[in-house]
Amino acid sequence: MNLATLTLPCYITVAALLSIGLYGVISKRNLMKIFISLSIMETGVNLLLITIGYIPGGTAPIENANFAKYVDPLPQALVLTAIVIGLSVTALAIAVLISYYQKNGTLEYKEGMKW
Amino acid sequence: MVNHPVLLIAIPLLTAFIIPIFKKYGAAIAGGAIAFNMGYAIGMFSHIYSNGKIYETIAGFNPPVGIFLAIDALSALLALIINLFAFINFVAIGKESNYKFSMLYLLAIAGSTGIVITGDIFNMFVFFEITAVASYALIAGKKDKKALEGAIKYMVLGSIASSFILIGIALIYSQLKTLNIYDIAARIASMNANIKWASFAMLLTGIGVEAEIFPLNGWVPAAYQGASEGVASLLSFAPSKAAIYAIARLMLVVFPFHATYEIALWIGVVTLIIGELAAFMQEDVKRMLAYSSIGQMGLILVAFSLASQGLKYALMASLFLIVSHAASKSSLFLLSKSEKMYGMAGKYTGIVSVLSLIGMPPLAGFWGKWYLMLSAMDEKLWYVIILIFFAGIVETAYFARYLHRSIGKDGESSLRYKAAMAAMASFAIIFGLLPLLYKIASLPLWGG
Repeated sequence: MNLATLTLPCYITVAALLSIGLYGVISKRNLMKIFISLSIMETGVNLLLITIGYIPGGTAPIENANFAKYVDPLPQALVLTAIVIGLSVTALAIAVLISYYQKNGTLEYKEGMKW
Repeated sequence: MVNHPVLLIAIPLLTAFIIPIFKKYGAAIAGGAIAFNMGYAIGMFSHIYSNGKIYETIAGFNPPVGIFLAIDALSALLALIINLFAFINFVAIGKESNYKFSMLYLLAIAGSTGIVITGDIFNMFVFFEITAVASYALIAGKKDKKALEGAIKYMVLGSIASSFILIGIALIYSQLKTLNIYDIAARIASMNANIKWASFAMLLTGIGVEAEIFPLNGWVPAAYQGASEGVASLLSFAPSKAAIYAIARLMLVVFPFHATYEIALWIGVVTLIIGELAAFMQEDVKRMLAYSSIGQMGLILVAFSLASQGLKYALMASLFLIVSHAASKSSLFLLSKSEKMYGMAGKYTGIVSVLSLIGMPPLAGFWGKWYLMLSAMDEKLWYVIILIFFAGIVETAYFARYLHRSIGKDGESSLRYKAAMAAMASFAIIFGLLPLLYKIASLPLWGG
């Protein structure tokens, strides 16, 4: 596959991941599934950032005399930060869900939960 | 000496991660760090007030490439409010808290201060996340069913919000290849119109969740009801004020177009109506205060949107409304610890806070509504004036009911709790009488 055409499939994947994530958050009643869907959404956003920074034919942004073209390094730095943030939110969410399960005996979303 | 604003973020972050080593003295160390932050914020504010803006570059890279902090008198005022109330609030609740609470409290303060003083849009996202993660944990810290429910709702909406903010940032970056707010503002006209509006919508939706604006505020009543008093108080003066300031900066600096003004005005109006009516119908005190906060955030957004039309009165109005809401709501949340008010201090707190929120002269809330009406008259927005009266009437109705039910025999509480509560409410009087906020509005603000 020609690398120059890689960006379009990437954008399609981004759209798919974001839609799957949002659909999961809206339609699922199990709280664990909701947080899994949120993680899927985050992955979609991270892929979007990487794709934006991608330059067809570019290599890793490390100084090297053999290569002239580099991909944009900044989005990769942003994605690293975003991954760490996503990880910490997921860890905290699971901790809260454990407490929730101990108090309520279920991970289902309660009927009486008012929004 | 006082021109290194990065310390306002660095000191609480550093202290927060030192605390687990000295678990036993956690609250004392945190108290020291917050006291330092408050002193530094006051010093920095007076420095900027007399000498003008401060810019600080981080790690020696100059903007637009490097990260930098940009502080004008307005963001210094916001930082001052956040750190001042954080200190008073910590005096009230810090002693009973364990080291984990102190740690999270410091993180929330560092994050909110960071949102206000940063000049970099991705940095703003990171600070939003620091604040949000600390707030989730603080709300869940009470560990009963309601607290967990509130924390889960906030987490779900907050995570979606963070994805949206990040998409907005990615869209801007894809066009302009920059993350510096003032660099973006300078070159915003060269963006593709569709991508520009998509990124504005994404950022507004994302930040709107934190700023409690309609229809993104589903988490607010549950979170405020579930959280302990001190945390509810913290939520009402730190993250929400920082977020509304972020929206104002988005509107006034980055996207200064007529359409953004109209969108923000209408969102503010709808938020105001929904918040006040919902507050009127609530039985639970904390839920009522939470919905009332939503209404007030709508009012602040209306003020900021009028300020984006270059009306100086509207900017004054938003400053007064922010100060009044921070002082009154945080003290009322502290007061909501028991059904009845605590003696003289409790009655004083309740009455001063309520009068300021309703808009009685000469308290800060009155000046907020007064200047908002003046600027609405300048723009011939009669429905805004009618709405302010309507909001005042509804607020009077539910706050009168609240006072009627609460004033009675004295509850039990420690002296420091009472003193802190009364001190917070007093700022509604102090800022109402001081000419400080008028002068800030006439200083050169927002510029890059």
